[in-house]
Amino acid sequence: MSAIGQCLVAFVFGSVVGLLVQRSRFCNTAALRDAILFKTYRNTKALLVAMIILTIGFTGFLTIGEGNPMYFDVGLNTFAGLFIFGVGMVLAGACTVSTWVKTGEGNVGALWALLFTFVGMFLFSLVWSVNYWPPAPASMTGEPNLEALQLGYANAATLQEKLGVPAIVFGIVQAAVLFWIYRAIRRKEEAQAERHRESQAGAVALAQPAE
Amino acid sequence: MPTEFFKKTLDPVIALTAIAILDIFMFLLIGAWTVGGGETMMTGLIAQVFMGDELERLPFWTLVFDPDPTYWKIYISLGMLFGAFVSAVLSKEFYIRVPRRLSEWVMITIGGLLMGIGIRLAFVCNVSTFFGMGPEMNMGGYLAISGILAGAWVGSLIYKKILEG
Repeated sequence: MSAIGQCLVAFVFGSVVGLLVQRSRFCNTAALRDAILFKTYRNTKALLVAMIILTIGFTGFLTIGEGNPMYFDVGLNTFAGLFIFGVGMVLAGACTVSTWVKTGEGNVGALWALLFTFVGMFLFSLVWSVNYWPPAPASMTGEPNLEALQLGYANAATLQEKLGVPAIVFGIVQAAVLFWIYRAIRRKEEAQAERHRESQAGAVALAQPAE
Repeated sequence: MPTEFFKKTLDPVIALTAIAILDIFMFLLIGAWTVGGGETMMTGLIAQVFMGDELERLPFWTLVFDPDPTYWKIYISLGMLFGAFVSAVLSKEFYIRVPRRLSEWVMITIGGLLMGIGIRLAFVCNVSTFFGMGPEMNMGGYLAISGILAGAWVGSLIYKKILEG
């Protein structure tokens, strides 16, 4: 596909995503923050359902050698970077998706967060230009490089290649784990709802005048 | 009914199911949904406007992200902005909201900076974590999910402290 074609496909995909996220109020930050702080799981459940579908879809196509998986080495920087990101998204009250979507709704705070995300990226580029860590894509080998705190590259396709087990098998295992988490959340919600019903029934009984 | 669609809040499970199916098509055509890469390219393009050729003195912008306006990931973000704007206008939910308290501005500024630094340090954003690497069973997906969960937990503790004053 030509570069222009790719840009058009990306724009159409982004537009539909923007519309669906705006209408559903989905927020990745809320999916994690609300589960941790408020024990509410509206967004967490949606995230888990998406991950189950994607795991089956991606690993299914990887099994037959189709798809365009991400290809770069990972390491300590992957954990540390997302840790910093996780703190930042809770403080900003928005993630990479909701900054764009809320900006589209006229939220000036989200636009401000977006601008400072750009500033943060530029500041990082200054530091990287001095220490060259983590390694640039051109110097990635796919193999562990402990000196640079890199573990290399592995996904369902490389597992299939090394172990001779179809990628979809690993995908089904991961999807089952995600579904187990989803079911545990549903049970927790049902228990919460039951307690709520009982406490309301108790309050109504107390409010009834004695005969 | 299309008008009904813009009156009610959509169940996020339905929205995310649709997004996941579209993301599988994206994975087959170009690559899975991602936001951080496009944002970095936009940062480079904006920096180029202000700095011109001086930007090339920073190796990051030649070795890691050479500014290129035809980088497809940019257009996912612009599409999200456009889609959200159209949706907000059609559902009469578009209006200018400005944070009122200074503490909110401070938190958003620090949060934005940390998100930008974190994305570039990791080479991955939250979208690639949950909608790309994780489902591809990439080793980085597990590192990233562990990192973002730990970060969100620490962030939530800080947020709670601030809320409690």
